[in-house]
Amino acid sequence: MIELIQVSKSYNKGKVKAVDDLTLTVEPGEIFGFLGPNGAGKTTSIKMIVGLLKPDAGQVRVNGFDVVRQPLATKQATTYVPDTPAVYERLTGLEYLNFIGDVYGVPREARLERIGKWLEVFDLSAAVSNPIQSYSHGMKQKIVLTAALLPGPRVMVLDEPLVGLDPRAAHQIKEMFREHCDEGKTLFFSTHIMEVAEKLCDRIGIIHKGRLVASGTMEELRALDRREHSLEDIFLEVTGK
Amino acid sequence: MIRLGTLRTVIRAGLKSNFGLSVLKYRLFREKKDRWLVPVIGLAAAGALPALYGWVLLIEAAYATLAPMGQERALLSLGILAGQSLILLFGIFYVISAFYFSRDLEMLIPLPLRPAEVMTGKFAVIAINGYLTVAVIVLPVMIVYGALAEAGPGYWINAVLVYLALPVIPLALVSVAVVVLMRFINIARKKDALILAGSILLIALVLALQITLGRSFGGKDPGPGAEAVAAFFTSPNSLLNRVGAVFPPGIWATKAVAEGFGGEGPANLLLFLGVSIAVFALMVTAAERLFYQGLVGLAETSGKKRRLTRDEMSRRMSSGRRAVAAVFGREWKIMNRTPIFLLNGTLVVILIPALFVLMTTINLGGRGDGPDSMALLRALTSADPLPVILATALFMTICGSLNGTSSSTFSREGAQFWISQVIPVSPREQAAAKFLHSYLVAVLGVVTAGAAAFLHVKAIHLAAAAPLALVAGVLLTAVGMIIDLARPLLDWANPQKAIKQNLNVLLAILAHIGILTAVFFGVRAAVKAGASTPAVLAGLFVALTVLSAAGYSALLKFADKRYPEIES
Repeated sequence: MIELIQVSKSYNKGKVKAVDDLTLTVEPGEIFGFLGPNGAGKTTSIKMIVGLLKPDAGQVRVNGFDVVRQPLATKQATTYVPDTPAVYERLTGLEYLNFIGDVYGVPREARLERIGKWLEVFDLSAAVSNPIQSYSHGMKQKIVLTAALLPGPRVMVLDEPLVGLDPRAAHQIKEMFREHCDEGKTLFFSTHIMEVAEKLCDRIGIIHKGRLVASGTMEELRALDRREHSLEDIFLEVTGK
Repeated sequence: MIRLGTLRTVIRAGLKSNFGLSVLKYRLFREKKDRWLVPVIGLAAAGALPALYGWVLLIEAAYATLAPMGQERALLSLGILAGQSLILLFGIFYVISAFYFSRDLEMLIPLPLRPAEVMTGKFAVIAINGYLTVAVIVLPVMIVYGALAEAGPGYWINAVLVYLALPVIPLALVSVAVVVLMRFINIARKKDALILAGSILLIALVLALQITLGRSFGGKDPGPGAEAVAAFFTSPNSLLNRVGAVFPPGIWATKAVAEGFGGEGPANLLLFLGVSIAVFALMVTAAERLFYQGLVGLAETSGKKRRLTRDEMSRRMSSGRRAVAAVFGREWKIMNRTPIFLLNGTLVVILIPALFVLMTTINLGGRGDGPDSMALLRALTSADPLPVILATALFMTICGSLNGTSSSTFSREGAQFWISQVIPVSPREQAAAKFLHSYLVAVLGVVTAGAAAFLHVKAIHLAAAAPLALVAGVLLTAVGMIIDLARPLLDWANPQKAIKQNLNVLLAILAHIGILTAVFFGVRAAVKAGASTPAVLAGLFVALTVLSAAGYSALLKFADKRYPEIES
């Protein structure tokens, strides 16, 4: 479960308000899609959820733990996939996965099983003993995703996880999202792909200029306007074209 | 061939990116974040003034000794040659790195720029780095010489022209060599090996230069001070004469500056500038024809594709290390697999003592032979072993800790620092793991230095010095890490920036020198107060232990505070 309670964050000594009084809750078993134009505050919100940024005001809670006051408890429950796959290029894929397994305390058997499964799914088995610097962008994205899945986290937070992935891998990721949440776990991701959000998400939030301008299920969002329209239309409507 | 307007734009962008000018301007004036850096850098510069003053005094002394023999021009030659040699040596490293391995190439190559414009732009940035690198060596020589010789305007104008052209010949020669090498050998795909080979070649050259210099000085045994310098210059076998013979531009530059507008001055100036332009033109031609061809396949890195069997996978699967061990393992692997980190960290602590052994055994005639400085130290300390123990401890400490390992430990993570911030491992545990790694490198330096010192120092003195160096290493490692943690340099594309061009490394070295100076004054006060040698050593050990414990504890506390504040 993720809770953001009246969270604000600004840059440049308060001159640029990136997130403004944001309140939202993502329940266990829910896929939450976070949409917004460039610079709307998506990545800042995500970074506050995973503890990379400290909110100026408000509270962020993950699984009931305060992200600022109980960082280790929240980090143990969460994994994160950033928008650019910056990983240790000098390690091999397997060394990186072992590192993640060690720091999250994943038992050996569980490691073998999960790593084997996701490497197979992402077609990385043949490259896993090579240094990450020899990977393509998409392969790096896949190794970060595998690492995020390895601890079997209660909460997964992903920033634009589908960028750079081939259609097959993107399809598998979407399957994984559903599988993850069917186990009662929480998934929060940002995307620019309306179709994906529309088809996949249990609930959607749209952020604009740091404020949550719309939130709810697809039906609830459609109800905001009398006309029948797509998520893209709603997005353009609430973010002022 | 080259469009000047375009070239100016490429150079401006290169300078801004290389020196981080835009980022610095933004942080200083818009975000108002790094203003504390201004006084700190001012203080560091002020700290370097005594060394500069010492250099000026040495130049004056050498001039006073050489002038009566009519050999004062050799001083100017030495300054110019030293500057060009330094540019040549560092040039190998910078040229390979900037021309072939900097990530901005991926952005520059698709732009409508000619290869020669891209390469000349990069050349200009390296040349400006060259001016800054050799300024403290060459400019004092030129200024002091001019002032003492009461030189006219011709001297000063020619000096400015020669200084401006100084990096051109060495850098252009290195550039041509590197471009040709990359085109025809094309080992770019083995870029790690190339950087390492280039660096080792560089060190071998420095070593060879040191030995040659040492032989020129030590061979005639002229005694200390200015007389040695004079003998060095006037000796027919001196390095200067030899280098002058194989590298005539140094001699042309000297004559151009020394004679100004009169005598052979203008002719030599024309010769020097003409050759500089010709070599530069050669580089531009080589760039236009060969530069991009050598770049083909650059982004590729070799990697055999082989599926691991279930057994192999199982064998390679970690069976669950503790978090500290996992972070330590990551540090160790990344440091030793990144050539620039390896060279400036693990290798440097081995190379410096090795250099010391070579210099003291080859140049000074080995143990006990001749009036070498070690023999002098032994003679002085035959009654009291304290100075020799302290000097040995200082040597071991310097070899172990005065490098960039601890003071770049957070910076080295660069764009990957987010991983350290999201993993469920407390900052103090991560700092402890990083400390272990940095300290292990320091211990490696202390042990290697101890082995080197063993050639000159009695075992008992070494045994007394080692604990001091080992405990001082804890303090210096913690201080270096605290400095880096205060302002880690995470925004880099070229690993060279994280360790070689990282201000934290310089600040930490200054802090280390400050601590060692304070220790020196503390010991001196204890000796003056009449403390016995065992009492001084025991007191120093206890004081260093207390300070080390405090430093380590401060590091862990600071990590807990600082990690969540760093915005990556």
